[in-house]
Amino acid sequence: MPTIGRIDVLQLRPRIYWRSMLNRRAFSLCITAVFLSGVTAVAHHGSNVSYQLDKTIALTGTVTEWEFVNPHPQIYFDVKNESGEVAHWAAELLPTPSMMKNMQVGWSRTTMKPGDQIQLVCNPSRVAGAKACLAKELQVNGKAWPLAGGPGGPKGKQ
Amino acid sequence: MRPSILLAVTALSIFGQAKPDFDPHDLSGHWNRTSRFQTFSNVFSGQGATQGTAEAPLTAAGKVRYEANKPGYGPRASPPALGNDPMGTCDPLGIPRLLNTEVISPHQTLEIVQVPGRMIQFFEWHHDWREVFTDGRALPAADKIDFTWNGTSVGRWEDNVFVVDSIGFDDRTWLDKFGYPHSEEMRLQERYRRVDKDTLELTMTLTDPETYSRPWVSDTKIFRIDRDKSKRWDEQIYCVPTEEYKFNQRVRDEAGGKGAGK
Repeated sequence: MPTIGRIDVLQLRPRIYWRSMLNRRAFSLCITAVFLSGVTAVAHHGSNVSYQLDKTIALTGTVTEWEFVNPHPQIYFDVKNESGEVAHWAAELLPTPSMMKNMQVGWSRTTMKPGDQIQLVCNPSRVAGAKACLAKELQVNGKAWPLAGGPGGPKGKQ
Repeated sequence: MRPSILLAVTALSIFGQAKPDFDPHDLSGHWNRTSRFQTFSNVFSGQGATQGTAEAPLTAAGKVRYEANKPGYGPRASPPALGNDPMGTCDPLGIPRLLNTEVISPHQTLEIVQVPGRMIQFFEWHHDWREVFTDGRALPAADKIDFTWNGTSVGRWEDNVFVVDSIGFDDRTWLDKFGYPHSEEMRLQERYRRVDKDTLELTMTLTDPETYSRPWVSDTKIFRIDRDKSKRWDEQIYCVPTEEYKFNQRVRDEAGGKGAGK
């Protein structure tokens, strides 16, 4: 993907994007998308190099530990396969605890406790066999918990 | 038009102008950087578009240090497990990285407080702070410098621009999250200008002949005042070494292929 630097975009505007209101709106949406992608990049070190952001996996498991701490909250959980073997997994959440608090949906250090059942959609590691992933969607005991949005939370869907 | 009417119109245009609704010498308040450029220069760090648009004028020695730094962001990003970003071990970020990196809403803010003789900047990240002396003192002589994470700074007004000159930076810090280095010889000049009641601009120039072949000028950082800051839930955003270490060991290392186990 060619670089989209601020200078490049400003140079393009008068020539291409401001020819009509329709194109102006398209330009605005494009810029918004670029900025929103930056929002997620703000919060996380190396997410696009540690995880495959273009792929997701679905996991169902039992919480063993919930760490609502900086720099990113973490869920540790056991996943049982069809033959009954248990694998221990870790999932990190992209927003920081302060971002999640400011979403005003009730995130706290008591959101989960050992024994809770979770359903998770997450980006897998780039390392084959690694049992760590980046959470995208989360349900705890059947209740969905958003990972973005709200009054003071990170904008846009992760 | 009659002369009397013309005079009245002229007087209105001169005296009727509204006073600025801000004091350009008042920089106090909570500020969020809104420009998404998290690097010292205009290198775009947005996810998915991480190639630089401008390259640093690194010297040969500077390039060696740059290559030794393994950031988690930008065109040279590596998994945190394999990197050496000081942030990953909760080391102080120092100046100018504190200004370049973590002062973006809703992440955390920069607060400026002006008191007689000093301007103080508070950074929510780490609950770090720095003093800029405005009492007319000079920067220390070369043989009197104490090297510190945030350097030693003095400030003065040039018209409506607050100019901060600094020296004495500990060279373990990076300029930004892309891993640009500096030496202890670095001198930094920050120029702050309050554009309107809601907007603050900052440009920086660093001079470090050991690391950069010419003075390097930053892009213009734009900050917006955050008057709702007190309405937000405010966590004490410390980087806690024990928490960071556990996270590195149990998640980052596993995701990055170190596989230390959980």
